[in-house]
Amino acid sequence: MPENQNPNQHFHEPLNQPRALRIGVAGPVGTGKSSILATLCRTLAGELSMAVVTNDIYTDEDARFLRSAGVLPTERIRAVETGACPHTAIRDDVSANLDAVEDLEEAYGPLDLVLVESGGDNLTATFSPALADAQIFCIDVAGGGDVARKGGPGITGADLLVVNKTDLAPHVEVDVAGMVTDAEAVRGGLPVLALSKHDPSSVAALADWVRSVLARHRAGSHVPTDPGPMAPHSHPHP
Amino acid sequence: MGALGPLLLADGRLPVGAYTYSAGLEPAVAAGLTRERIPALLRARLRTTAVTEAAAAVLALRAAGRDPVDYGPVQHALQARTPAAPLRAASTTLGRGVHRLARRLAPDHPAVRGLATAHPRPLRPVALGALGAALGTGEEELAYAVVYDELQTVTSAALKLLPGDPLDSVAWILAAEPDAADAVATALAVTTPDTLPARTAPLTEQWALDHERSERRLFLA
Repeated sequence: MPENQNPNQHFHEPLNQPRALRIGVAGPVGTGKSSILATLCRTLAGELSMAVVTNDIYTDEDARFLRSAGVLPTERIRAVETGACPHTAIRDDVSANLDAVEDLEEAYGPLDLVLVESGGDNLTATFSPALADAQIFCIDVAGGGDVARKGGPGITGADLLVVNKTDLAPHVEVDVAGMVTDAEAVRGGLPVLALSKHDPSSVAALADWVRSVLARHRAGSHVPTDPGPMAPHSHPHP
Repeated sequence: MGALGPLLLADGRLPVGAYTYSAGLEPAVAAGLTRERIPALLRARLRTTAVTEAAAAVLALRAAGRDPVDYGPVQHALQARTPAAPLRAASTTLGRGVHRLARRLAPDHPAVRGLATAHPRPLRPVALGALGAALGTGEEELAYAVVYDELQTVTSAALKLLPGDPLDSVAWILAAEPDAADAVATALAVTTPDTLPARTAPLTEQWALDHERSERRLFLA
């Protein structure tokens, strides 16, 4: 799609060359967002030029985790201050994150992929298309088998829903297949991935999903969609 | 745009990244400032940095009205009066958000185009002067917007850092009115970048330097 047909063109800096694909990773605290970033860097850094922006309650906990994981050159991992408003930083006012993404592109570009990790927030925190071209929403089996059924904009509308830590399912008595079915039921055909970093085939599927979005982004056929701050819902009465 | 512009400039909900800034409160709290001392901090800011920033914004607004637009002198004067590198960096970051908004609203306005002459990037008051020009803001309105934003920034950050009744914040801001009026009057009386008041304070600078080395911070500065 030509630049002037991009419905989100106003959100971005004018650029002469196609900019990197920006993928956001959101989800509640402790579900494994940083782990997904580390996994993606480990899997894709050999074939793609990548950078990472982290958002955290305190500035750089996640950035330090990723730097210590050794999956990407440390200077390609930036942390932004969010004034204790991680939700705002990815939706209502993305200035700080845009600055970081643009700085990384300027310093290390051209980049293929920039991953933006949200600060762990609740089920209603999703990325604005002003910041992320596509987004992964991450929940985990340890959060309970009914999380997917509860819905929320990330669960229903993110480009990819990851049900993480499937290796823990037997220990927390959660039926992964049932959780995936529940999620698929509320997502209207959008993909759901049961992931464990210890399951190579699921990691490969995650990387393939990123590659497919990147291919669409490069072809100009990817249109960022906004899951919205709240899911549309109704209260049917019997 | 004439009436709404000044209101927008003073609105903390403007999406320019201002919520990442505590106007010196977080560094002050780290150095031991207590909730009872917030009104004193507000007065101190109004007599020091707020005067310099409001005056710089007004000088930038005046520069925006000349042909050609040249923010160089006010940008350099303000840099020289912001000796702590972390505070220059914070002002640059905040200015960047304002600049992004100005480009979105009025990319072809001479005042906005002129920001390209501010190196390396416009500090926040300079960017605000340019945005103010693009929005048709008057000098006094702009100065008040800068001063008011300073007060709101500190008191909003206080809700995160020294929590208490949010209604207190409103009372603190109104109580600071005389000092705010003085700051605005002083800012408006500045006529050239050379005479921009250098109203920083040693503790403000020291705390900002300490803050940069802090590993557990919520705010830019």
